[in-house]
Amino acid sequence: MKTTFVSTVGSSQSLRYQLARMQSELVSANKEAQTFRVADRGLAFGARTSQSVTMWRDLDRLEHIQSQNGLVASRLTSTQNSLKQLEERAQAFLSTLTAGIGGDATAGVTRGDAKATLDTLTSILNTSVNGEYIFAGINTDVKPIGDYTAAGSPAKAAFDAAFAGFFGFPQSDPAAAGITAGQMDTFLTTVVEPQFLGAGWQANWSDASDEQITSRVALNETLKTSVTGNIDGIRKLAMAATTIYDMMSAPDMSPAAKATMLDRAYKMVSESIAELTQAQSELGVVQQQVTKATDRMAVQAGVLESAIGKMEGVDPYEASTRVTALVDQIELSYSLTARLQKLSLMKFL
Amino acid sequence: MSLTTALNIAQSALLATSRQTSVVSQNVAGARDPDHTRRIAVVSSTGPGARVVQIQRATNELLFRQNLVAGSSHAAQSALLNGMERLGIAVNGADNATAPAAALAELQKALDIYAANPSNRNLAEVAIDAARHVARTLNAGTGSIQSFRAETDADIATSVGELNDLLARFEDVNRAIISGTRAGRDVSQALDQRDGLLKNISELVPISTFTRGDNDMVIMAGNGSTLFETVPRKVAFEPLAGYSAGATGNAVYVDGVPLAGGSGGNTNASGKLAGLVQLRDSVASTMQSQLDEVARGMIAAFAETDPSAVMPDRPGLFTWPGAPGMPAAGALVDGLAGVIRLNAAFDSSVGGNPEFLRDGGANGAAYISNTSNAASYSDLLMKYGDRLDQPIAFDLAAQNGSSASVLTYASNSIGWFEGVRQDASRAMEAKEALAMRTQEALSNATGVNVDTEMTLLLDLENAYEASARILKAVDEMLVALLAAVR
Repeated sequence: MKTTFVSTVGSSQSLRYQLARMQSELVSANKEAQTFRVADRGLAFGARTSQSVTMWRDLDRLEHIQSQNGLVASRLTSTQNSLKQLEERAQAFLSTLTAGIGGDATAGVTRGDAKATLDTLTSILNTSVNGEYIFAGINTDVKPIGDYTAAGSPAKAAFDAAFAGFFGFPQSDPAAAGITAGQMDTFLTTVVEPQFLGAGWQANWSDASDEQITSRVALNETLKTSVTGNIDGIRKLAMAATTIYDMMSAPDMSPAAKATMLDRAYKMVSESIAELTQAQSELGVVQQQVTKATDRMAVQAGVLESAIGKMEGVDPYEASTRVTALVDQIELSYSLTARLQKLSLMKFL
Repeated sequence: MSLTTALNIAQSALLATSRQTSVVSQNVAGARDPDHTRRIAVVSSTGPGARVVQIQRATNELLFRQNLVAGSSHAAQSALLNGMERLGIAVNGADNATAPAAALAELQKALDIYAANPSNRNLAEVAIDAARHVARTLNAGTGSIQSFRAETDADIATSVGELNDLLARFEDVNRAIISGTRAGRDVSQALDQRDGLLKNISELVPISTFTRGDNDMVIMAGNGSTLFETVPRKVAFEPLAGYSAGATGNAVYVDGVPLAGGSGGNTNASGKLAGLVQLRDSVASTMQSQLDEVARGMIAAFAETDPSAVMPDRPGLFTWPGAPGMPAAGALVDGLAGVIRLNAAFDSSVGGNPEFLRDGGANGAAYISNTSNAASYSDLLMKYGDRLDQPIAFDLAAQNGSSASVLTYASNSIGWFEGVRQDASRAMEAKEALAMRTQEALSNATGVNVDTEMTLLLDLENAYEASARILKAVDEMLVALLAAVR
């Protein structure tokens, strides 16, 4: 007769094996119940673990670029404000010039306003944010523009040399009284304009770079996020303010030449205002792009977060029930082991 | 029938009972020994009262073989999984902060910060430091993998020694069994020992056995070579003192035939030795190749290009011993991850200039991109950032795809590793359960239940008492007879 046979070793071994397995499961279930995430990403996802790693990396980078965009936005706001101030100054100068042309303002008043414009222009172009000159293009470690009125200013020296080179005498010379409107017009067109609108600007005036700062505003999107001091609007304003400030001082300058100067300055400032407005609106577009990119990234980050949550998350309720069930099972297994071990014929012999 | 016959029968019954008792006591003694096979004392009567006790072993050949096979594949799987857990912790696990993928992500972030404020030299230093960390992770990863391979190699050598030792002991036991069988002795004890040795041997190499006359056993290894036939065959292995990337370890030779390593996460290997060989030559090597490819991708991503497109590309932020040449595109360079370095030209701690990263020109004036030396020049930094995201060609030999960006490649490398580990872990559960089940089944079929033995002992006690009673009765009868005669 053969009955079902259970060996003594077999019964105790199988209990031990089951217990060890349940205990190791308990450790990971416990971890999952506490962190709400899978205990071991590698074992849970296998080859798909790379997705999880990539998503975490992208999320990290998105958050990071968003905070960088904060810096970009603050630079853009400063630039925008500066351009606005510059435009307002140009408007005021334009009124003064109008008065000057109409004969309602003296040369001294016009010149004083030109000086004020020049000063404002200099101080605004030299604005710095976080230690960077915002109008310097990419050349942010160099002050974009020197003070024209300071002693030894290269811009002043160049202007004086240009004047003397054209007329053969300095501005303060009494011979200036003989300058005709035609001569002045030729001087302004052929000598002064190249000084400001041509190569002379960067040689004598500006240390700014033409190249704008490029910023990464989204994972795969870069934008030009600065305005350089070399834009025509600024150059024209500088030209108008400098010619008025510099040559109105000449006491003997002929009224015809002064009128030509004022006319030219009026034209330059009007153009400058238009261009500054243009620059502001272009900058506004960039600002909006940055904001949109930041918003888009916030949305993207949210999507990524929820994808990560879906992938890695575990139902905390399920996990904790699993913990409870495992604990119950293990306890049951303990008491069973104890009872089975007590179960021996030896006690009855 | 005479009283003497009765006495003789009772005597032989006593003898038989005492032999049976000794078998029961052997069984009880071996109850906790997993190699012990239950003995059954079979009593047969031959003539009037003459009894022979034959001792049988409760063997089950089929279950025993299955148990060997299950144990063998469990041992291979467990060697593989344990090794992989260690590799994951040391080099490339998903939650490993020292994984190259994590270091690469940090570098990309540092580049982003620097590109947003290129005039800030401190940020250049931060980026250089992140780059240094990338090089360090790759170097350290290579070091860990190669020392892991050397340790595995040493483990193989130890296991081969163990195997040779087991075979020597097997020879002794086998010889005892043959001579015992010829002499008709009870060789159960030796047979148990031999089964135990077989179990141990099969954990190292997969085996198949057959038994010849006189209980002589021959063992064949899984690869078809003979492991034991009358005398043990030589299992030979030459460990290497140290490992370098691309170096192949020596094979384990069983009787001159090399033992193949397994393949796949759910490994087809049987026996610990094959599992270890697979770890050493397949898993760890592939991981190394992937690190090498990441290193090559980093050198390529940060290569300096001549803006006027006259000079060839040169290694930039990351360099290697082959500089100023570039590693050939799309081809694996063994051990590159171990020798990739941060270019000293960028490293301010050795007198380099971190701003080469922004301006270019570490390889000479022809490579300067920022020709105006502007402080906020960010184009080159952006370009590096973009290159990290652009797909390049990778060598298929590294088993991680042929085209990806270096960042993706690095995280795919984690994916590859975890994929294999997941397979290995699942297979481990199945194989462990199977091994436990066959072990349990075998134990139930051939093992001892103490309670059964005790009930048997009670029976024997009764039988013994009965026989003794007969002796006593016959004795009294003889005494009565002699008294009547006197």
